Amino acid sequence: MNHSPIIAPQVAPASAILCSDSTAMNVRRSLTLRQWLGRAAPLLALVLPFLLGNEYQLHVLTLIGIYWVLVCGLNLVVGYAGQLSVGHVGLLAIGAYTLVILTGRAGVDPLVAMAVAGVLGGLCGFLLGLPALRLPGFYFAMATLAFSLIVTEQLVAHNTLTGGGAGMSAPMFGAPFDTPRGFYYLVALIGLLVTWLTWNIGRRMWGRGLIALRDSDVAAAAVGIPVFRLKLAAFTFSGVTAGVAGSLFASLQGYITPEAFLFELGMFFFICIIIGGRGNIIGPFAGTAVLTLLPEVAAPLAKLGNLLYGVLLLAAVLLIPKGIGSAVTAWTERRRERRHAPPIAPNLSRLAAAIHKPGEST
Amino acid sequence: MLNTLVTGLATGALYAVVAMVFNIMYSTSKVLSLTTGHMAMLGGVFGAYLITGVGLSAWVALPLAMLIGAGFGLLTEFLAIRRVLAQGDEHLWVLSTLALGTIVQHLMALWWGTEPKPFPRLISQDFSAGPWDQKYWLPIGLAALAASGLALFYRRTLLGRVFTAVAEDPFAARARGIAVERVRSMSFALAGILGALAGFAAGQLTFAFFALGMWLTLSGFIALAAGGLGSNLGALVGGVLLGLLSAFSTYFFGAEHQQSVSVGLLLLVLLVKPAGLFGKGIVRHV
Repeated sequence: MNHSPIIAPQVAPASAILCSDSTAMNVRRSLTLRQWLGRAAPLLALVLPFLLGNEYQLHVLTLIGIYWVLVCGLNLVVGYAGQLSVGHVGLLAIGAYTLVILTGRAGVDPLVAMAVAGVLGGLCGFLLGLPALRLPGFYFAMATLAFSLIVTEQLVAHNTLTGGGAGMSAPMFGAPFDTPRGFYYLVALIGLLVTWLTWNIGRRMWGRGLIALRDSDVAAAAVGIPVFRLKLAAFTFSGVTAGVAGSLFASLQGYITPEAFLFELGMFFFICIIIGGRGNIIGPFAGTAVLTLLPEVAAPLAKLGNLLYGVLLLAAVLLIPKGIGSAVTAWTERRRERRHAPPIAPNLSRLAAAIHKPGEST
Repeated sequence: MLNTLVTGLATGALYAVVAMVFNIMYSTSKVLSLTTGHMAMLGGVFGAYLITGVGLSAWVALPLAMLIGAGFGLLTEFLAIRRVLAQGDEHLWVLSTLALGTIVQHLMALWWGTEPKPFPRLISQDFSAGPWDQKYWLPIGLAALAASGLALFYRRTLLGRVFTAVAEDPFAARARGIAVERVRSMSFALAGILGALAGFAAGQLTFAFFALGMWLTLSGFIALAAGGLGSNLGALVGGVLLGLLSAFSTYFFGAEHQQSVSVGLLLLVLLVKPAGLFGKGIVRHV
């Protein structure tokens, strides 16, 4: 009767000691890998243009960068907060047309117009999120889909401002960014900045809050997370990045029409994140890069582009519902376990000593 | 003006039937499948192909199109619903049905072409009939028939009562010896049949067009959201409301705002009365 409170604390530390070695090692290794990636990414972005053969490859690389600016912000909404937004192509279109209209009709400098596009994208995201984020999953997806349809239709309808279905030509950026390579560095800079921002958001208080409300919004609200405000903040941020990405997209393409912003493009962004894996940053980046490259590398696939994306999405949902990122993590962990088998070697004599000690003392 | 009214009623009837298709699948699986509009699209495209391309009579083509719809319904359930529901993640079915819908749409684009093609006349009738043309009254008739037929099916037949039992409480139904999974498959087949029928009946109005699916899914959902999820009467009222609204907005403001008006209706309903006119309301989980 007397011993029972003594036994319990003695056994618990014993098991903790036995397990602690391997856990600590895992944490240390994954941290160094991430830090290594964080330092290598800017260097890689700097060097990559010199390794490419021609201007077309640089164009594709820049396109990946621009898509990534949008996907990175969207990742906070879809990957972290679990809100199924399929309508970010509407925000992209708003950003693109802001740049074109401000520079073409008002003579504003493209860099300033890009900033305005970001602000306007954020504002539209805020105004859309205000009613839509109150809705449960499927209704939210439908509301964002509806939003992107309205944007495309209004772009055609207001033809005195937007040039209607015929479209408008977009300007190049100013002095240091007017060559393809200069423009690439502008995109790379913005992409790295956005990645750094989302990385900081993702692993600190806000990201934890977003993941918590993704997994259970009731439980998140119960521990004091302002669920709606947090979702709205993430959605507004993704609107800003979508607006900036839109202005860069317009400048890269040189000429934009409402046809460039169809629903399929919105689904493409969405698929990049789902295939890459929710709740991390490297996975969606790999998804964006691979899915943008895929139709470019294999020419016959370009015709099947959207069909291919559908097949990939279905395969991803059925086979690896948590994305490639989590599948890779699971695979490396299994491999590591096999290499260091058995992972936890019980120190039996020490355990026996720990258990028997209180019994001997009485 | 009369033409606008009849056009609105006819498109509204099509939206109402699509909304009922949503309801049939939702009642047994609690899933709002994004492939719903594609079922109607398949009915229209295969109807046009079988009559014009193969040269069958409408009376043979109709059951074949319904068969294809049923097959697609079963495929949806097998590929996109069954495994996802077994995993238990709440909204994964949005992704799987979206993926399946995209696949079917683009397969149709490759096989059928991206141009809308005309749907043949089903009843021999002069083109001068104006508002009494069959292309308006076939979908309207189908909507009335489907609403009353579904009501009779759910109330009067044994199979319909089994469907209702599964919709009310799957666990209690299973305890009474009902094979819930099989009932779910059957409800998807029934949904596919009704969807293909809708596409077939409205084919002359919409043309046989591969991209119709996504638009019908959205419109049917708007009708459903306005009328109230789970209610077939609500689907009928919501569909007709949406059809009339978009027809008259086209009449007064021109066709370039048509989508914006119907989508605006969706946003308005979701803001003011998220449960819809005849809905039971969304129960908040605590």
